[in-house]
Amino acid sequence: MRAVPRHVACVMDGNGRWAQRRSLPRTAGHRAAEATVIDIIEAARAAGVEWLSLYAFSTENWNRPGTEVDYLMRLVRRVVRKHAPLLLARGIRCRFLGAADPRIPRELAQDFDDLATLTADNRGMTLTVAFDHGGRRDIVEAARSLIRNGTQADDVTERLFADHLPFPDTPDVDLVIRTSGEQRISNFMLWQVAYAEWVFPDVLWPDFRAPDFLTCLRTYRRRDRRFGGVPPQTNGDPS
Amino acid sequence: MTTGTTGTAEETPLFATQAPFRAFFDDPRWALAIIRATVLEAAHPQVGAALADNSTFVAHPWRRLRNTFLSMRRMFDADPAVRDREAARLNRLHARMSGSDSRGRAYDAMDRATRAWVVATLFESAVTMCRLSGQPLDQATMERLYGEYRAFLAALDGDAGELPEDLNDFWRYFDRVVEDELENTEAARLILYRLFDHLPAPALLDGMPALWAAGRAVVGPLLGAITVASLPEPYRRKAGLAEMPGTPTLMQGAYLAAGLTRFLPDGWINAETIIETLSLSPDSDDPRARTVTALRARMTQASALLRLLTPLGGDAGPGPAPTASKTTGEGRRSAEEFFRTVLDQTGDGYLDWPDLAAMARELATRLDLDEPQETRLYDAFAAWWRELQAALDTDGDGRVSADEYATAVPSLAGPALIRVAEVLFDATDKDGSGTINAEEHRALFRTAFHRDLTITDGTYDRSAFVGDFLTFMAGRRRNSAYDALLADA
Repeated sequence: MRAVPRHVACVMDGNGRWAQRRSLPRTAGHRAAEATVIDIIEAARAAGVEWLSLYAFSTENWNRPGTEVDYLMRLVRRVVRKHAPLLLARGIRCRFLGAADPRIPRELAQDFDDLATLTADNRGMTLTVAFDHGGRRDIVEAARSLIRNGTQADDVTERLFADHLPFPDTPDVDLVIRTSGEQRISNFMLWQVAYAEWVFPDVLWPDFRAPDFLTCLRTYRRRDRRFGGVPPQTNGDPS
Repeated sequence: MTTGTTGTAEETPLFATQAPFRAFFDDPRWALAIIRATVLEAAHPQVGAALADNSTFVAHPWRRLRNTFLSMRRMFDADPAVRDREAARLNRLHARMSGSDSRGRAYDAMDRATRAWVVATLFESAVTMCRLSGQPLDQATMERLYGEYRAFLAALDGDAGELPEDLNDFWRYFDRVVEDELENTEAARLILYRLFDHLPAPALLDGMPALWAAGRAVVGPLLGAITVASLPEPYRRKAGLAEMPGTPTLMQGAYLAAGLTRFLPDGWINAETIIETLSLSPDSDDPRARTVTALRARMTQASALLRLLTPLGGDAGPGPAPTASKTTGEGRRSAEEFFRTVLDQTGDGYLDWPDLAAMARELATRLDLDEPQETRLYDAFAAWWRELQAALDTDGDGRVSADEYATAVPSLAGPALIRVAEVLFDATDKDGSGTINAEEHRALFRTAFHRDLTITDGTYDRSAFVGDFLTFMAGRRRNSAYDALLADA
């Protein structure tokens, strides 16, 4: 079996459906998602994952009903504040990808900043929360940054381009977990998922728990990653 | 205005030898006493008017504290030449302060009776400080202390004739002034109600407003209550200051506790170290700055944690994030911010001559200028003020409001401002070499050359200096050296 993935990303899908199946308002689904998030952070850390990214809110999510967006903003703020000391204590470095829209409430932006500052020196797992994130927007930003720097067209390489993406120290994503059975990319970290393995568990995000996460890791470890090459000769190899 | 002091100097017939009062410099009680003395000074209509017009202590209290402290040290220096020079400097400084108060009464910082009152409040506060902390001075010590304060006045004024010769007469004089002359002035109210509430963070703590605000929210009202409770009863009555139950006990407790620090080992509390550390900015090249930078990083994290742990308010109104700070963040700042932090030195919301005079004063103090260079600097600033007034004062009230400034920013860089830059360059270039070397640079900015300066061969030439000064003053571009010079609290 191959090693534990270095960088795992989760697309947290199915909160609304989870609530609808219980005849609850959609917002109840978001509230239930909090427990999963905390569970997965701990499971990933314990399993030896070094980078965990969570897709919390996309640029397209602004199109949801205003009340739901408002509720989400308040909820995220509460979650961030509630768990800040524990994230610090567990040595998790937190940062927020995206989070640039002026529609984000000022207080929430301040809390994001504070949490990032607070945990900046941590050397355990790095938790990247994609909030108000769009993969294409990041790529466009990188292109702008290159042009602004006056880079010559012939000098642009994949590596140089990646250096202009937000958080250039982030390694490529090895495994993406998208819950609820949906099989789409949805504009998520487009550049970094180029060679990622994807798993699509049928579980809705609020029901997703540490054992499910470990199952996904096992699935990944059995997969044969070829990066576009030919499969190696594996005579007698148990994997 | 006060550059008051306590303490003593060795030798010379004026000052007693071996006096114990130098210890006051490092006595934490003195911090409480000096606040009290400042309120009593400010309650004098003459001092109050001068303070309200000229002083920068609301907007830049820490810089003011540092300058006052250094001036006190010089006035009690062992070397008479240092003392005389400082007295002459103070006299020049005070000679530039005169005007009229809001009711049209004239004031003059050179007025002898007024200066005597400033010295009287310092002496009386020193005595009161000892009394309140349960260690009253005996008669002989008190008389010797009084003698020193009279000597201090004499060093400034030539003689101490305005203060009674005898200590017994002094108390009558003091009570009479409190009863008859003190008023509920604007400056006294400003200190009691506004300064403690809005005290800006010192350079060291700048950039962690949450931490500073949390500490100030507790300490500010306490300091205010302690100061009010220690004021003389007749004045409290006159100024309509409320009696708050428990504050006398609190006040005496504070003085007592501060007095107990005398049992700490020597050197634990050193006023100079404290003041120097507070005014240290993190990007200076002082050896201590590295520690300070590390400390600041820790404190930034602490204040982030503090903010995160603060319980949420009832309804956190989701206002849109301010984008202004992001767009102006790259080296430029808004006209409003520049007006507030740099131009409006007195913090009254208007740009007026005292604001520019305060800049000239700060520059002259840093460069330790003598005549005639000091006057050249003031003249250059005065010419700049006339230029500004002509260009910006559109409603003709004699001063420039923040709005008037914001609408007419581009006209800020006229020939008079260039002249200010040139005079400043000449004053900084002490050896007249035509360039500013590292040592001269340090005298002005308290830090060595910064990497972003246009420096060739380890020196800083006239055109680069003038250019940087103009872009700071007119282009509103941030410049860490000038920010530390004129914008730090």
